[in-house]
Amino acid sequence: MTRQEFMSRLRAGLAGLPATAIVDIADDYEAHFNEGQAAGRSEAEVAAALGDPARLARELRAEAGLKAWQETRSPSTAAAAVFAVLGLGAIDLIILLPILMALSGALFGVFMGAAAGFAGGAVLLVGGPFFVSAGHILAVMLAGLGLMAGSAAVGAVVTLLTIAMVNALVWYGRLHFRLLKPAIEA
Amino acid sequence: VIDNLHAERTGVNETIQVQLKKGVLELCVLALLSSADGYAYDIASRLAKGVDMGEGTIYPLMRRMQADGLVETYLQESPAGPPRKYYRLTAAGRASFTAQKAEWSAFVSAVNAILGEAQ
Repeated sequence: MTRQEFMSRLRAGLAGLPATAIVDIADDYEAHFNEGQAAGRSEAEVAAALGDPARLARELRAEAGLKAWQETRSPSTAAAAVFAVLGLGAIDLIILLPILMALSGALFGVFMGAAAGFAGGAVLLVGGPFFVSAGHILAVMLAGLGLMAGSAAVGAVVTLLTIAMVNALVWYGRLHFRLLKPAIEA
Repeated sequence: VIDNLHAERTGVNETIQVQLKKGVLELCVLALLSSADGYAYDIASRLAKGVDMGEGTIYPLMRRMQADGLVETYLQESPAGPPRKYYRLTAAGRASFTAQKAEWSAFVSAVNAILGEAQ
């Protein structure tokens, strides 16, 4: 493989990362080729020693995805981290995907339930006094407040569980990075 | 059947080797950088000789270690060509090296003790 082929495959594999990250990474590998050349190695030798550019790109993307997830906890960085780890091929998709789907489905359901409970509680709290007799106003308002508090608690627990699940997956994926397979086996 | 068994065993051996090397790669980089700052090409070629790894894997590893705050970079003029990006250990990197080195030594001596008994 020539230097140009290696670099264009690497860049193709990195597509989707922020432009500055791609430039940074490409600079690292360009510098590697320069050093190799200065040491009297041919382009093909250096490219072979570097390894498969597509696999390196997957590892670099996974690293970037995990970093984004560690810096900001948001649904989109969570999804990016999960897909980056899955893209490594470090996790057996066929076994894990159904479990993952079921788990995230369940978490999503409970979360929606909590949201509905919260809304229902708000309706009871605000609207209740207009529909019940004077003696029950306090009871209905307290019930609404209780429902809202309970739902908020459930929602918070679900959020924590989701974060823990993504972290566990990321940890597992990192543990299984195929960082070391030499170029020839790739 | 024997062929299958054989293939399975080579697979397992390969996995064990990969896992072993993976575990010590970061430790090796920490060790190299603890004696002197270095640039990636140099680190990669020294590791490639020593532990038979693809040279390209140094870059994901260095980015990870940088993200984890174990190393930091600075530019330094090189005798030939453009300035080189050098890596040096941070305080956290030095602490991690000390801890991992102790863990590794304990592990190796435990394994050696068991291997010695078996002879």
